[in-house]
Formats: sequence, structure tokens, C-alpha cells
Amino acid sequence: MLEVRHLTKRFGGLAAVNDVSLTLNKGEILGLIGPNGAGKTTFFNCVAGAMQPSEGQVLLEGRELTGKKAHDVCRAGIGRTYQIVKPFGKLSVRDNVLVGALNQTRNVADARRIADEALELTGLADQRNVLAASMPLPRRKRLEIARALATGPKILLLDEVMAGLNPSEVELAIDLIKTLRSRGIAILIIEHLMRVITSVSDRIVVMHHGEKLAEGAPSAVMNDPKVVEAYLGEGFVAQD
Amino acid sequence: MSTMSTPSPKESIARRLAPVLTLLLLASLMALPLVVTDTYSLHFIWKVLFWAAIAAAWNIAGGYAGLFSLGHAAFFGLGAYTSILLYMQAGVSPWIGMIVGSLVALCFSLAIGLLTLRLRGSFFALATIAFAEVLRIAVVNGRDVTGGSEGLSVSFAPGLVNMIFQDRASYVVLMAAVLFVIGATTLLIERSALGYSLAALREDEDAAEALGIDTIRVKLIAIAISAFLSAVTGTLYAFYILLIEPTTVLGIGFSVEIALIAIIGGMGTVLGPLLGAILIVPLSEYLRAEFAASLQGLYLLIYGTILIVMVVFLPNGLISAIRDPRSVLRRVRRRKSASSRPEEKADA
Repeated sequence: MLEVRHLTKRFGGLAAVNDVSLTLNKGEILGLIGPNGAGKTTFFNCVAGAMQPSEGQVLLEGRELTGKKAHDVCRAGIGRTYQIVKPFGKLSVRDNVLVGALNQTRNVADARRIADEALELTGLADQRNVLAASMPLPRRKRLEIARALATGPKILLLDEVMAGLNPSEVELAIDLIKTLRSRGIAILIIEHLMRVITSVSDRIVVMHHGEKLAEGAPSAVMNDPKVVEAYLGEGFVAQD
Repeated sequence: MSTMSTPSPKESIARRLAPVLTLLLLASLMALPLVVTDTYSLHFIWKVLFWAAIAAAWNIAGGYAGLFSLGHAAFFGLGAYTSILLYMQAGVSPWIGMIVGSLVALCFSLAIGLLTLRLRGSFFALATIAFAEVLRIAVVNGRDVTGGSEGLSVSFAPGLVNMIFQDRASYVVLMAAVLFVIGATTLLIERSALGYSLAALREDEDAAEALGIDTIRVKLIAIAISAFLSAVTGTLYAFYILLIEPTTVLGIGFSVEIALIAIIGGMGTVLGPLLGAILIVPLSEYLRAEFAASLQGLYLLIYGTILIVMVVFLPNGLISAIRDPRSVLRRVRRRKSASSRPEEKADA
């Protein structure tokens, strides 16, 4: 469905992302992990059109998306969330999501209906009239998902939507992600919490220093000594 | 911690009443010429309506799209000059000249927009000043066509086709009608997909882009509508005053005053510009009459002081005092306690 070929992003002499390729299949949840500074978010930004890649290609269902602007990428069917949430603070929660729904329809009444569905699905329905700025972080993270969901995406890029949540909130978020998948949305997710990423992902891609280090089923990747060393530190290898 | 929960029912009623209130206010303003008949009062009402209209036109770009233009005199002036020149040189009716002038302003705004919309915040404001100044200087130097700094004056030839009327009441009704059109346009925008897109990009451009909003395109639409309506107001002004000069209709002072009225009234709201004009026009008129004789420029000093006080205590405009009077009281109280205990910071 989504195919990224040899994607490279350089900032001056530094390659934040270096020759990373991956494929996201229909209905799949693909985890993208790696230590801080591995280039995960930069990779996201290049796919979502927030940054232009230096080299490589992004294809959605065979259609070229490389170098397209963020709004065109969204229109094509890729929704995204931001690691640092960006709510429209002075708008109500419902209006926040309504803005996303306008990607599907120009009719405000229809958009409101789509927004309400997304709010229902993300468990924010009772918060719809609250100003986005006045919500606590966990809810703002969910709002971020609701908004992206309302754009009617085929693919969702979720950037650390669970950072800062407590265990029961994480449980809810995992359920939500699984629900989204059951609705036919393919998901590419960046996450730091190991337990989450292994339980939720069908496959995992590991990035390190901007390069793809490993790829495969969660259990296989987690036991790959290269990954353990890069991601968890040498100490873990020694202890095993 | 006080929680900001759902807006109180009172507030939502106020929101729903806003359009009704707008219509009532406008209707009463339009009905005024039936009651008021003396020339001075009519001129005064015209002035309030005029400032409300041009500030409301600015508001679509400045308030709704967050495009803080300080060069709206350019659009206004293009409308005024185009219609007057067409009338004087080719005998074209101002009604047609108004449309032509507005289209010229619209094209000019698109050209400016394409060049400057990538600039954010104060850089955009500076760029608009520059464009308006370039236009003003061009008009001053284009003596043969534009009459240079002396401007252009139209001879008084009443007639509906000429948009020149014997009685002032007609001018007042015409300006009220334009204000109504601008207000209705604003309301329609606010409730349309465009309005929601504008609200989103005003809050966070990157997030708006990520949700599929072509921010550049949306801003261009907003500034084009704003420029068009500003130019319409420009034509009406020209055929009422019957004299246009570059310093008054294209000057930076004019641009700033347009923005000021919208800010004082409440940016990004339908009623704001009208409220601003209702307050500012009588205020400046009164101060000028009261203090102009005693000391040159004193009235400007007082005027400026009042504006500063207003912006400090009502940063969201007069409209905020009507929508939520308690929050204004809170702000005043906080300022007071902050000034009595300077070691504490006032901002929440």
C-alpha cells in the first residue's frame, strides 16, 4: 500500500535518514522504533510532506507522493499526528476534528457528522464542547488521533501517541489503534514503549543513526543481537 | 485549578444571538436617516458606517486569516482611483467602475499574496506597508493621469448613474448596504468550510497543512475577498467626498487606522469592526472638537492614551467585554494586584 524507497534526508552534511526503504501492507500495523535521534520523526515528516526528502521515493498505492506538499499528501489519504501535539487551542474539540473532516467534504454539516463519529470512536464524545487548550495531555493526544482519523485516511502515521500516558490510558490507546486497524486503516507507528510496540505491531522496523538496522516480526527483531545492542544498550547483551 | 469545562449555556446563547444582534444593529443604523435629517448628523453616521465597512473588509484578511495587513489603503485606493479615473476619463458609471476597481484590487492582492504569503507575522505586515507605499509614490509621480499629490476631484453632478446624490441620506443608506454585504459575507465565511480552515491555520499552520488544508490557497482567497470589498468601500468614499488624494486614501496612516478599529472592536468577529467604529469615530470626533483649539496635537495624545489603555485591558477587543464581561473584570483585578505586588507575575 505505502512504499518508501531509498529515502534519504540530509541536513547539510548530516544524513538524518539514510537510504531507508519500507513497505506498509493493507491492514497492517508497522512499528517504527529506534533510539532517540535515530531519524524516525524526520522519516515521518518526509513521508507526510512536512519535509522534502533529499533522495528516494514515496508511493501510495503505486502513485507518486514524493515531494508533494503536506496538504496534498493528506488529501491522497495519509493522516498523521505530531509527536508534540498541535491542537487548535481556541477551537472546541469538535471543531478541531471538524477541520480534519473537511478533508473529506466541503459541507460543514457533513463534516460535523464525520467529526462526531471520530470523537465517538476515540472516546472524546463527551468532551466535544471543551476548548482544546484546556484539555490535559492524554486527551490532547487522543484529539490528535481523532483529527487525523477524521481526514478519512487509508494510512495513519502515529508519532509517539502514547508518550506521557499512564498504564490504563496506554491500554485504551492500544485498543483504539486495534479498532482503527479493524476498520481497514494501515498504521505506521513510532513508539518508545517496548511493551506497546511489540504487542500492537505485526512487523517492526528498527532505525539507528538514520539507517534501517533490522526488520521483521516483533519477537525476531527483539531478539536480534544487533537491535538489542543498538536500542537497549550493550548492557542488555552482556546480561543475557 | 479552575477547570475550563463546556462553555456556559449563557455564552452559547450569546453566540447564537450574535447574528441577530448584528442584523438589528445594522437595520437600526439603516433606519436612522429616516429619523435624523440634519447634514452634520448624517455625515457623522456615514463616517461610522464607512469606518465599520472598511474595518470589516480588513477583518476578513487581518482577523480571520491572521494576515496582519498594514497596507489595506492600497486596495481601498485602487478602488477609489480606478472608478474615479474611469468616470472622469471615459464617462464610465461608478457602479461599473466600482466592479472594475474592485477586480483591479483583487488582482493586486493576489500578486502581493503570491509574493509575500510565505512570510509570517510582522514580516508580512512590513511587506504590505512596502507595497502600499510603492503604490502611493507611483500615484504621486504619475501626475498626468492621477493628478499627483493634489489628487483628483469630481464635479458635483447628481444622478443615480453617477453615484452622486443631492441628499446625504442616500449616501448613508448606500454605505449601510455595503456594510451589510460585508457583514453577511463575513458571517457566511465564518460558517463555511473556508471559515473553519481559516480558524485552523490561524491557530497552527503546520497542523492545518497536515489535515489537508492548502494554507496558501486559503489565505489567497481571504485576502482577495478582503481586497475586493475594501475597493468597493473605496469607490463609495470617492463619490461621496468627491476628492481623493494619495496621502489620505493611500497613506500608511489610513492603513493603520483601518486595522486599529478592527482590533479595538474585536478581530476575527463579525460584530467587532462595527463596535470599533461606533466607539472610535465619536471618540476621535469629540476629542478633536474639544481639544483641537486649546493645544495642537493634544487630542491625538489623549486619543493614543485611550487606545493603549483599551488594548491593555481588552486585548480581544470590545466584543470580549460583551461576550464575557467577567473575564475582563478578572483581568483588571489581576493587573491591579500585580501592580500592588510587583514581585508576582501577572500572567497566568
